[in-house]
Amino acid sequence: MQVYDSSVRQTPVISQLKAIYESRGLLRLLVARDLTVRYKRSVIGIWWSLLNPLFTTAVMFYVFNTVFKSRLPSGQAFLPYLLSGVLLMTLFNQGLTMGADSVASGAGVLTKVYVRPEIFALSSTISSAINFFIGLIPLTAVLLISGQTPTMKFPLVIVVVGCMTLFATGFALLLSIAYINFDDSRSLITIFLMALQYMTPVFYPISVLGPHTKRVILLNPLTSYLQVFRDVFGGNAVATFHEWLMMGGSAIALFLIGFIVFMRQWPKVVAKL
Amino acid sequence: MAKGGGKTVSSEKIVEVTNVKMAYRRTRHRVSSLKQTAIETIKRRMEYEQFFALNGVSFDIARGETVSIIGRNGAGKSTLLKVVARVLPPTSGRVIVRGKVAPMIELGAGFNPELTGAENIMLYGALLGRSVQQMKSRIEAIGEWAGLTAHLDVPIRAYSSGMVARLAFATATDETPDLLLIDEILSVGDEDFREKSAARTFEMMNSGCAVLLVSHDLEAVKSLSTRAIYLENGAPKVFGSPDEVVQVYLADVHH
Repeated sequence: MQVYDSSVRQTPVISQLKAIYESRGLLRLLVARDLTVRYKRSVIGIWWSLLNPLFTTAVMFYVFNTVFKSRLPSGQAFLPYLLSGVLLMTLFNQGLTMGADSVASGAGVLTKVYVRPEIFALSSTISSAINFFIGLIPLTAVLLISGQTPTMKFPLVIVVVGCMTLFATGFALLLSIAYINFDDSRSLITIFLMALQYMTPVFYPISVLGPHTKRVILLNPLTSYLQVFRDVFGGNAVATFHEWLMMGGSAIALFLIGFIVFMRQWPKVVAKL
Repeated sequence: MAKGGGKTVSSEKIVEVTNVKMAYRRTRHRVSSLKQTAIETIKRRMEYEQFFALNGVSFDIARGETVSIIGRNGAGKSTLLKVVARVLPPTSGRVIVRGKVAPMIELGAGFNPELTGAENIMLYGALLGRSVQQMKSRIEAIGEWAGLTAHLDVPIRAYSSGMVARLAFATATDETPDLLLIDEILSVGDEDFREKSAARTFEMMNSGCAVLLVSHDLEAVKSLSTRAIYLENGAPKVFGSPDEVVQVYLADVHH
C-alpha cells in the first residue's frame, strides 16, 4: 500500500526524476493529447503546423538570399541553412511557451490531484520535438533541391533534439513559475525571446559578424544547437567539439536548474493557482 | 443507528493530520506584476505579511468514516483538501495518508474538447493515478455506465455539458479508493442520472473507504458524516459530532 507522509520531504533530485519516469504512462497520453489536438486527426493538420516555419523561411529567403548566399563557405547553401535554423528555433520557442503554458494553465487538475507538474511541461516539449521530426521532410526536400545530400551523420539529429528537449523543458519550468507569479511576465518573455532569436544565427551566416559581435553570438548556447544540427544534417555548418560540449552541457545544466528551482518553488506557487 | 448510514468504522487510520499549519508570505498590496514588484522594491515598500491558511489542524479519519469540514468561504477548507491530496506540502505539522486517494474534482477539469470520449477517459484516469492498462480495460464499462456508449468515438466538444459531466463522474468513480475527497456533493446531469450518481456516491462512501467531505450543504453534513470540523480562519473551532458542530456554526452565521 502506498503511504504518503508529509514529514518525509525534500527528497533528492534522483528520486524525483524517478517519480517522473514512473509516470511515463501519463506522459505518453499527454503527448498523444498534444499531437491529436495540434493535428486534429488530419494530414492537413500536420502540414498546417509546418506552415509557420515554412512561410517564415520563404520570406526570409526572399529578403536575405542575395545578401547572404555568397557569404557562406563553398559547399553550403543558404536555403537549407535558413530552414534548419528556423525549424530548430521553432522547436525551442514552441516547446518553451507551450510547456510553460501547460503548467500555468493546468490549475484545474494540478491543484486537486497529485500529479507531478513537470510531466505537463515535458509532454509539451516532447510533442514539439515530434513536430520537429516531421519538419525534417521538407528540410530533406530543400537539401535535395539545393544539390546537397543528407550526410551519413544524420542519425545524430536525435542527439540534437534530445538536448533541445531538455534545454526547453528546463526553461519552460522556470518560465511557468514566472507566469504564475507575475501577470506581466508573458509580454516580457516575448521581448526576451525576440532578442534571443536575433542573437542566434538563424538567418545570417556567422561569417558576416564583426569580431566582437561574433564572440557574443558564440556564447549563446542556442548557437551551438543550430551549428551542430546544420553540421549533422546536410553539412551547412562545421561544428567542433566545442559546440558539442556547449550543447550537451547547456542542456543538462538548464534542465537541472529548471527542475530544482521548480521543485522548490512549486509548493509556494500552487497556492496562487 | 450510527451516523453515516450505519457504516462499520474500523480502527485503521487512513488519514492522520497532526497540527498542520500552512503559512503563506503575501505582499500587503497584492503585487502581481514584475513591473510593480520592481517599483515597490526600489521604493523599499515591499511589505510581506505572514498569513496562515491553516493554523494547527489535527484530525484523523478511520476506514469507513466520513469526516466533514464546514466553515465560511476562505476559512481554509480548500487548502485542507489540497494538503490531504498531497498537492500542497504543509509548512509544519504532519499529514499521513495510507492508500489510494481519489479526489472528486471539478468535473471535466482534466478533459480536452478535441479528444474523443474514450481518449478523455484514458487521460482522466491516468491523471487520477490509474494505470494505462487498467483504463484501457475499463473504457467500455465507464462509457456504458455514463450512457454514452454510442458517443465514445466522438470528440467531446460535440457533447452537451451534461454528457461531459456524466463521463467525468463515471470515470472518477470507476474505482473505489481508500480515501475519497469530495468538494461539494456533486449532482450531475438530468434527474435520472442525478439519482444514479448520488446512489453511487453514497455507495462509495459506504464501501469502507474513508471520506473527507467539504460542503456547504449542512443537511448533507449532518446525515452523512460521522464527525465534523468547523474551521474558522484556518483553525478548527469545533470538532466533534456533526449535529453539535453544525449547531455552533449556524449560531455563528446567524449572529
